Amino acid sequence: MSTESTNERTSKPNAEAKAMQSDVPEQYRKNATPERGKAIIELSGVTKTFFRGKEPLTVLDGLSLSIEEGGFEALMGPSGSGKSTLLNLIAGLDRPTSGKAIIAGNDIGAMSDGELAKFRARHIGFIFQSYNLMPVLTARENVELPLLLTKLSSTERRKRAETALRVTGLENRMDHYPRQLSGGQEQRVAIARAIVHDPTILVCDEPTGDLDRKSADDILELLTKLNVDFKKTILMVTHDPAAADRATITRHLNKGRLE
Amino acid sequence: MIQLFLIAARNLKRSWFRTTFTVAGCAVALLAFVMLRTVLSAWNVGAEHAAQDRLGTRHKVTFIMPLPKRYIDDVRQVPGVKQATFANWFGAKIPTQPDEFFANFAVESKTYFDVYDEMIVSPEDKARWLADKKGAIVGHVLAKKMGWKIGDKVVLEGTIYPGDWEFNIDGIYKASKKSMDDSQLVFHWDYLNDALTGEQKDMIGWVSSRVTDTSRSGEISREIDRIFDERDTQTVTMSERAMNVSFMAGFSALLTALEVVSVIILGIMLLVLGNTIAMGVRERTKEYAVLRAIGFEPWHVRFFVIAEAATLGIVSGVVGVGIAYPFVNNMVGRAIEENMGGMFPYFRVEPNTALLAVAIAIALAAFASLIPSIQAGRVSVTDALRRVG
Repeated sequence: MSTESTNERTSKPNAEAKAMQSDVPEQYRKNATPERGKAIIELSGVTKTFFRGKEPLTVLDGLSLSIEEGGFEALMGPSGSGKSTLLNLIAGLDRPTSGKAIIAGNDIGAMSDGELAKFRARHIGFIFQSYNLMPVLTARENVELPLLLTKLSSTERRKRAETALRVTGLENRMDHYPRQLSGGQEQRVAIARAIVHDPTILVCDEPTGDLDRKSADDILELLTKLNVDFKKTILMVTHDPAAADRATITRHLNKGRLE
Repeated sequence: MIQLFLIAARNLKRSWFRTTFTVAGCAVALLAFVMLRTVLSAWNVGAEHAAQDRLGTRHKVTFIMPLPKRYIDDVRQVPGVKQATFANWFGAKIPTQPDEFFANFAVESKTYFDVYDEMIVSPEDKARWLADKKGAIVGHVLAKKMGWKIGDKVVLEGTIYPGDWEFNIDGIYKASKKSMDDSQLVFHWDYLNDALTGEQKDMIGWVSSRVTDTSRSGEISREIDRIFDERDTQTVTMSERAMNVSFMAGFSALLTALEVVSVIILGIMLLVLGNTIAMGVRERTKEYAVLRAIGFEPWHVRFFVIAEAATLGIVSGVVGVGIAYPFVNNMVGRAIEENMGGMFPYFRVEPNTALLAVAIAIALAAFASLIPSIQAGRVSVTDALRRVG
């Protein structure tokens, strides 16, 4: 049984965001009109067991979950509760030991490694706590990375990367290297990288964990904008109650089960 | 793929210190490799560039034992022999510089430069020399090294033929083939012979002949030796190439040792490259995991590692050869040609050696990256990205 706390969404779309949206290419917006009520993430009786030597360790225990397309959900819980494992499953980085995980219509448990890689490239945008940008690449080049897996021309890749950076408010930092950016700006680059290929779901693992309050609020504002204006489905693992407040639904995980 | 390669190549900028030292280490190893290969190729220049149509006839026992001068007339009578000449090893030194080695021969004046037509002498110099019994013609490298010029008088101290021997520098030759030593001194055999008495008189060191048809060299060689089979002094005749090869065979152990050392150098280079690449891969495990997370497949990651290593190999190869070329050709090579011209008449980096060095650097780097690349491709994305949660 799961207990969901529903927050009153603080959606703050502004004129600038609207303007940016109009700048986004058509292909970019193809997922921008989600079918409300349709589940994009469906977990049913999912168990994940790891082995420490011969000792089995059940991290997710018969977990069932449904997340609607266009939703913004937060996942909270104590350390070791299975948040990251759940996130990895939804992101197609891992497969369930048992149970069904249907993400964006794909049965994660039945997919090969290659299929999972293609699934991630198509449907998932990752936002990590520690940004994980490549230090030898500029902001624009970092954002272009996922597009290298596509057949887009270099001009088109560049154009899309610049659009993504404009969406995240970094139009003046495109040619900066990560070392020349603040933590908040680095995370914005990471968000631009996560959205540049127009994924179905944004998976955020403690996106504000390394940031000060002000920067964290800015990032949360940006995520809200991506959810409200660009209709991205967002699943965010966080320890920060203020971050969880931005989500429409907060779920609590404990010992591999939703409370 | 090109884009991925370029990104991988830029990874070398991450640690300038490490990249610089790795490239420097590899460049030094390549310099040593290029030098050793140049020694080996220079050693073989004599055989590789030997005149195809030139035969050498020497004493059957050893080349240091002389032949009667009258043998030259018999050789000239053999069908298929176009021209023939003879020479003696003189072995004299400059009294004030006894350690300065250069080859010096007493030669048959009228024919020597016809048989050794790769020694280019101007008609004026040759005419001056032919008219001067004490005349000598020297290679341009030797002349430059000793500061000799036409008209100079030079005194050499004989070792095989004792005494002080005075020569006039009448001409300077320049070799048109890599196999010809540019540091020789040649003078009239008559000048030597006239001064000799007893058993040394009218004796020659060897006969060199040119044949009309190179395909009959073996047959002509056998015919020459057959003539002298019943005489007191038998001969052995072989092509110049075979003669050079048989001379070099005496150094085969040394050449093998050089080959082994060059392989060891490559082994050291492999370890240097492997260490650098493995360190880079270990440090970037999380980055590879991120690439995997955003959709890159294991082969992309392997390609990434190998491309970075190959770039390191290209840079190392270009830097190494870039240093080796001027170092060998303008410094070491010149010194060796001047001082050891008899053994290494042409000591320069061959283009093939340079290309081989660059290719080996790239291949070694790619090979050294194989295991790290496989490990990087196998990285567990969830483990690498794992956080408590």
